[in-house]
Amino acid sequence: MRTWQRLGYKDREKVMDNVGTHENWKSCFSEVAPGLLLFARQWVQSAADAEDVVQEAFVKFWRRNHNIENRALLYAAVRSIAFDFIRRDKRRARREAIVFADAEPAIEPQFEWQDETQSTLAAAVGSLPHDQREVLVLKIWNELTFNEIASALGISQNTAASRYRYALANLKKSLQPQ
Amino acid sequence: MNDFSELENELKKLRPAQPSQILFERVEEAMGVWRAGASPARQPKRSPYNWLSLGLGLAAAAVLFLFATINMERTQERREKIAQISPAPETSSVLPERRNGSGGSTSLNRFIPTGATQVVYNTRDEGLQFALGSEQPLRRLRYQTHQTWQWRNPTTGASLRVSYPSEEVVLIPVSGQ
Repeated sequence: MRTWQRLGYKDREKVMDNVGTHENWKSCFSEVAPGLLLFARQWVQSAADAEDVVQEAFVKFWRRNHNIENRALLYAAVRSIAFDFIRRDKRRARREAIVFADAEPAIEPQFEWQDETQSTLAAAVGSLPHDQREVLVLKIWNELTFNEIASALGISQNTAASRYRYALANLKKSLQPQ
Repeated sequence: MNDFSELENELKKLRPAQPSQILFERVEEAMGVWRAGASPARQPKRSPYNWLSLGLGLAAAAVLFLFATINMERTQERREKIAQISPAPETSSVLPERRNGSGGSTSLNRFIPTGATQVVYNTRDEGLQFALGSEQPLRRLRYQTHQTWQWRNPTTGASLRVSYPSEEVVLIPVSGQ
């Protein structure tokens, strides 16, 4: 069984370059897929739906031969397709809208935690407001720059940076012993 | 060093859930077409040449080449006719052989003019004018026409038609009575 290994920034760039040149796309996809799935889970509830979104986005991105240096475009594609996915099913859209409006987070990022501490941390991430969580997911588990996050989400770079800091602050606050 | 670095490190230790094997199979299936060799990254890059103008240029060159060929053959034909008219019995006895022998290959390429039309679609009277040193006035007429020339190869049945617009200026002497 292959283990997920965090890539260094340089390695990640190399992987993304490989995606662009279509050299061994399988290994490239296996490296970026967990982060993409996690990002897709910000909008769709089930892992299966997230996989549908990631598949469509990755294949579309590949076929259109976008410049992989523009990583934000891949994540923007995931986001856009996730929105389309929700729109296709009105009942689902209503449900998602209710979920988004609710203060209680029902959509949690999926993590494989190893101990209780990580479990608590994952739960704390899941309890973050949606706009902060998506920035955090892009920054921590997809290693996008604030500039790329801004492009992917259609927000300013300052907004992305401040949402990230708010997310960390909220996490720190929620993890502090009462 | 910000005060969140420790938290960031803890977050980075969290592993996102792995995608299912089915996802890989589905993506592989969707990518199948591209794996067959039509990789988008390997698609030929757009040529810097403008293919439309290149095509038009080649077409124009081909027409000019055909014109040149036809003119050369017509000139040669005229020469042969002149040779036939001239009283030279030795020559006349040789000519049929040439036509049946090596001349046979040239007849395959020979095009005979079969028609020519000139449609005048606009005439403009540009008034009287006096040529230098002439006391007689000249009427200047400008004709805008569309000419079509046709040739046919009697051996192969192939035909060639060339159409082009033309403009002609005619000076007609005007005599005052």
